Amino acid sequence: MRWWSELKYLVRKLNRKRAEQELEEEIRLHMEMETREKIADGLSWEEAQYAARRAFGSVALATEDSRAWWGFRILEELWQDLHYGARMLMKQPGFTLVVVVTLALGIGANTAILSFMDSLLLRSLPVSDPTSLGVLNWRAPSGSGRDSVIHRGSGNIWRDGPSTRMSGIFPYPAFELIRTNSAAVFSTVFAYYPTGNVNVMAKGQAELGSGEFVSGDYFRGLAVLPSAGRLIIPDDDRVDAPAVAVLSYAYSQRRFGDAASAPGQSILINNIPFSVAGVAPPGFFGVDPAAAPDFYVPLRTNLLLRLRGGANDPKDYLEQNYYWLEMMARLRPGVSLSQAQAALGPVFHQWVNATANDRERAQLPELMIREGATGLDTLRRQYSKPLYVLLALVALILAIACANIANLLLTRATARRREMAVRLSMGAGRLRLIRQLLTESVLLASIGGAVGVLFAMWAIRFLTFLLANGGEDFTLRPELNWSVLGAASALALLTGILFGLAPALQATRVDVIPALKGAQAGQPGSRYGFGRISLSQALVVTQIGLSLLMLVAAGLFVRTLSNLQSIQLGFNREDLLLFTLNARQAGHKDPEIITFYSELQKRFGAIPGVRSASSTHHQMIGQGTESGDAAPVGKQPKPGFSTHILMTGPDFFSTMQIPVLLGRALDDRDRPGSLAVAVVSEAYVKTYFPDQNPLGQHISISRRPPLKDRDVEIVGVAANARYGDLKGAFRDIVYLPFNQGSYYPVDEMTFALRSSGDPLRYVNTVREIVRQADPRVPVTDVKTQAAQIDQTMNQEIIFARLGAAFAVLALLIACVGLYGTMAYTVARRTGEIGIRMALGAQRGAVVWMVLREVFALAAVGLAAGVPSALGASRFVESFLFEVKPNSPATLVFAVAILLSAVLLAGYAPARKASRIDPMTAVRHE
Amino acid sequence: MRKQKDEPIDMLQGTLDLLILRTLLFGPIHGHAIAKSIERTSQDVLRVDHGSLYPALQRLERRGSITAEWGTSENNRRARYYRLTAAGRKQLTAETGKWECLTEAIARILNPNREGA
Repeated sequence: MRWWSELKYLVRKLNRKRAEQELEEEIRLHMEMETREKIADGLSWEEAQYAARRAFGSVALATEDSRAWWGFRILEELWQDLHYGARMLMKQPGFTLVVVVTLALGIGANTAILSFMDSLLLRSLPVSDPTSLGVLNWRAPSGSGRDSVIHRGSGNIWRDGPSTRMSGIFPYPAFELIRTNSAAVFSTVFAYYPTGNVNVMAKGQAELGSGEFVSGDYFRGLAVLPSAGRLIIPDDDRVDAPAVAVLSYAYSQRRFGDAASAPGQSILINNIPFSVAGVAPPGFFGVDPAAAPDFYVPLRTNLLLRLRGGANDPKDYLEQNYYWLEMMARLRPGVSLSQAQAALGPVFHQWVNATANDRERAQLPELMIREGATGLDTLRRQYSKPLYVLLALVALILAIACANIANLLLTRATARRREMAVRLSMGAGRLRLIRQLLTESVLLASIGGAVGVLFAMWAIRFLTFLLANGGEDFTLRPELNWSVLGAASALALLTGILFGLAPALQATRVDVIPALKGAQAGQPGSRYGFGRISLSQALVVTQIGLSLLMLVAAGLFVRTLSNLQSIQLGFNREDLLLFTLNARQAGHKDPEIITFYSELQKRFGAIPGVRSASSTHHQMIGQGTESGDAAPVGKQPKPGFSTHILMTGPDFFSTMQIPVLLGRALDDRDRPGSLAVAVVSEAYVKTYFPDQNPLGQHISISRRPPLKDRDVEIVGVAANARYGDLKGAFRDIVYLPFNQGSYYPVDEMTFALRSSGDPLRYVNTVREIVRQADPRVPVTDVKTQAAQIDQTMNQEIIFARLGAAFAVLALLIACVGLYGTMAYTVARRTGEIGIRMALGAQRGAVVWMVLREVFALAAVGLAAGVPSALGASRFVESFLFEVKPNSPATLVFAVAILLSAVLLAGYAPARKASRIDPMTAVRHE
Repeated sequence: MRKQKDEPIDMLQGTLDLLILRTLLFGPIHGHAIAKSIERTSQDVLRVDHGSLYPALQRLERRGSITAEWGTSENNRRARYYRLTAAGRKQLTAETGKWECLTEAIARILNPNREGA
C-alpha cells in the first residue's frame, strides 16, 4: 500500500534535525567520493574538489528540493504564514485590538443568537430515539365556528395560513380509535395534556405548581427510566386506581431535598391526596419544550381533581365532539411518518365523519402526523420569528464590521507596498502572497471569534434574561454546544476571508519598481473598483446603506414601543401592587370562600401606607378576559360584540382610579342577598343603549347549566378601561360584585393595592397577612401593575432597545469607517490640496471639496439603502403597532440622523484639509 | 506526489526516476554510484547534475519504490544504500513499457516511411 509507505516515510522525516543531518552527511560523503575519484584521475586536491562541486551542481538547491519532499508543502507554508501573521499583528497592537474587539462583538452576538436558534429549532427531546416519535395533529379549513365538528374545546388551536387552522387536541374516543387501529405502524400511542396551575402541598408547605396528565403508556412510549421509584404504568390509569404522581427531578429536589427521598411520600394536589410513586430522570421535561411540568399524574385523576379545562367528568371521556386530549406515538422500526399517516388518515376521517352533521362535514379535520423529535411547536411558534429578526440585525452588524475592517486593511495594504514589492521581486508567487495575507486575516478573525465566544456567553445570559421577561418558567436553554461552536468557527473563517480577500488582492497588485524606489502617495488610488468608484469608497457606501437599514428598523421598533406605551389604559397604572390567591385550590368552599376574600381585602386596605385595596376575579391585563353573554334583558347579544365580565370586590373603581360617569360604583352596599347589581363600561352603553339612559335597566347574565341565567340591574356606568389586551378597541365590560353570585363561583382572586410609594415594599406584609389567615394558600404572581404591563410588551421592548442599540453601533462603525477613509484621502491628496491653496483656493472651498465627496458617498449609500429599507421592512410588519412599515416619517428621520452623523464624521478631515499649509504640503511631494 | 512549481519539465523528472530504478535493479547501491552508473552506461551522453539525484531519491523513497539505509561502502566509509522494493520493481516495468511506447510513437512520426520499425 503506497499510502502506508508514504506515512512511514513522513513519520521518519518528522525529526527534521536528524533528517537534515543525514542528508547533509550523505551529500558530504558523495562529494568526498567524487573528489577522491578525481584525485585518482590525476587532478590536484583543489582541482578535484572544484570538479566535484561542479559535477554536483548547487548543494543548496539539492538540499532545498530534497527537503520539500519531507512534509506537506501546504501545511508547512500555512505554519509559516501563521507565524508571520502573528508577528505582524503584534507589531501593530492598536490596530489588532480594534479589529479583534469589533469582530468579537459581531461574531459573539451572532453566535449567541445562533445558540438560541439551535436550542429552539434543533434540540431533540431528551428521550431515546426521538426521531421515531410522531405528534398527532389535525388540520381543518377555518370557517364559521358554528359549523365546526368541535362543539367544545380545551387547548390550543392556531391559525396555519389564511384559511386553515391546526391543532393537537382530540376527543378521547379518537385516542382509543388510534390506539386500536395502529398496531401495524405504531408500537405505542400515548396521550397527555397540562394541568394548569394547582396548589401542591408537600411537607407542610403549599406552593403553586403545574403538571401534566399522562396516559398509562406515556413513559413507556417515551422510553425513559426513573431516577427513583417507578414511573406511571397503564395500571395507574384506571378509574379506581390509587392516586399516584411522578415528580420531575428538579421539583423533587426542591420540595423534598433530594430525589431519592421522594418516592413513598404523600402530597396534596388541590387538597386531594396523591402518593409519590417515583421521580423522572434529570433533564426530562416531557414533550413540550415550552413547559417543564413539575409532576405527572395519570389521566384518570382528572376526575378526582376536577380542574378547569380537560376532562373532569366521566362523560367527557365519551364525548365525541369535545376536543381536549393531545397525542403522540412511537413509530415501529422501518415505518415512516408518511406511511403512518397514509394508514391512519382514512381511519380517522371515517370516524370523524360519523361524528359530524351535514354542515360540519364541509370542514372536517384531517389527521396529520408530524415529526416529534423536537417536541411540540409551542415554543417555536412564539420565538422563532423574533429570533430571525434579531439574527438579521446582528448579521447586518457583522457585515458592516467586515466592510470596515476591509477598509482598514486596504489602508494598511498601501502602507505595506514596499514589503510586498520586495517579496514579489524575490520570486514569491502572487498566489503565495495572497495566501499569506488571507492567513493573516483569518488569524485575526479567529482571534476575534475566540474572544467572541466569550462575549457570546455573556450575551446568552443577557438575552435569556430579556426574553424570560421575569417569568420563572422560561424553558429555552441555549448552550454553546459543539454545533454552535462549529457554526461560530465557520463564521469566523468566512468573515476572515470576506474582509481579507479584496485587500489581499489589492495589496499584491503592486508595481514593483516604483514601490521599491519608495515613490510617495502621489500614486493614483486603487485600481480595483466599479467605474470611477474605488473599492474603499464602495465599502463606505455599503456601510452607509446597511446603517440606514438598521436605523429604519430601529425607528420602526422604537415608534411601536412608544405607541404601545402611550395606549390609554383607562386606569392609573402607577403604585399598584398585584398578587393572586387561589383559596379554592387550598380547600375553601362556597359560601365561606367569599367571606375569606372579603375579609382579606379589608385587611389589605388597612395596611399603613396602602391607600386603598380592591380585588378582581381575573387579572385585568395579560391573561385574556372572561367573556360571556350579558345582553340587556329582552335584547339579543349583538353579533361580533362579545361582552366581557369582571367580578370585583368593593372599592374597585376608586382603587384603580376609573372614573364613574353615571350612577355609582360597586361598594359595600352590595352584599349577598341585596339587589343584584352591575356597573357597565362606556363601550357597553354605546353598544346596547346608544340613546337611552342605562341606569335602572336590567341585564341577563347567561350561564351554563346547572346554573340559571341571572338578572342584574345597572347602577352605574364607568369610563372605558382596558381589560385583556392592550391593543384594539375598548371592550364592552360588565362589572359584577363577586359576593352576589351573579356569575360563576370565584376560584382565584387577584388583589390590587394602591400604595404611596414603592408597591413592592408591602409584599412581606401581604404574605404575613395571608399566612395568618390560612397558611395553605400561597401568594402568587406578585408584581406591580406597571411591571405587568411591561411584560405584555416584552417583545416590543426588546426589539426597541436592541434595535436602537444595534443601530447606534452600526452607525458608529460606519462613521468611524467614513472618518478613516476621508482622513486617508485627505492625507493622500495633501500635495494636490497644497497646490490648490497655493494657487489661491479659499479654506471654505477646500472644506467644501472634501464634504462634497462625503455627501456623494452618502448619497450613493442612501440611493442603495432607501429601496432596501422599504423592501426589507415588510418582513417586520407583524412586529409593529400602529406604524406602517414604509412609514415616510420614520424613513425621513433615519435619513436625517444618518446625514448628520455622516456630516460630523466628514467634518474633521475636511477641517484638517483646510488647515494644510501649502508650503509644507508641496514640499512633502 | 507533489509537483514543485519551479522544477524542470515533467518528462525529465519521470525519466530520471526511471533511470534510477533501472540502475537499482541489480542490487543496492549508494547515491554516488548511481550517478556514476548513469553516466557510464549512457556512455557519457546523459550528464546529470549529481545534486538533482537527491530530490529524486527522496521522491522515490516517499513513493515507496525504494528503501534506504546506512551501510559501509567499498572503502569502509559510511554511505546510504538504496534498494528497490517490490512496488518499485512494478513501477520500473510499467514505466519502461510506457517509455518504449513513447519512443516508438515518436520514431513513427519522425520517419513515416519506415513501416513496422
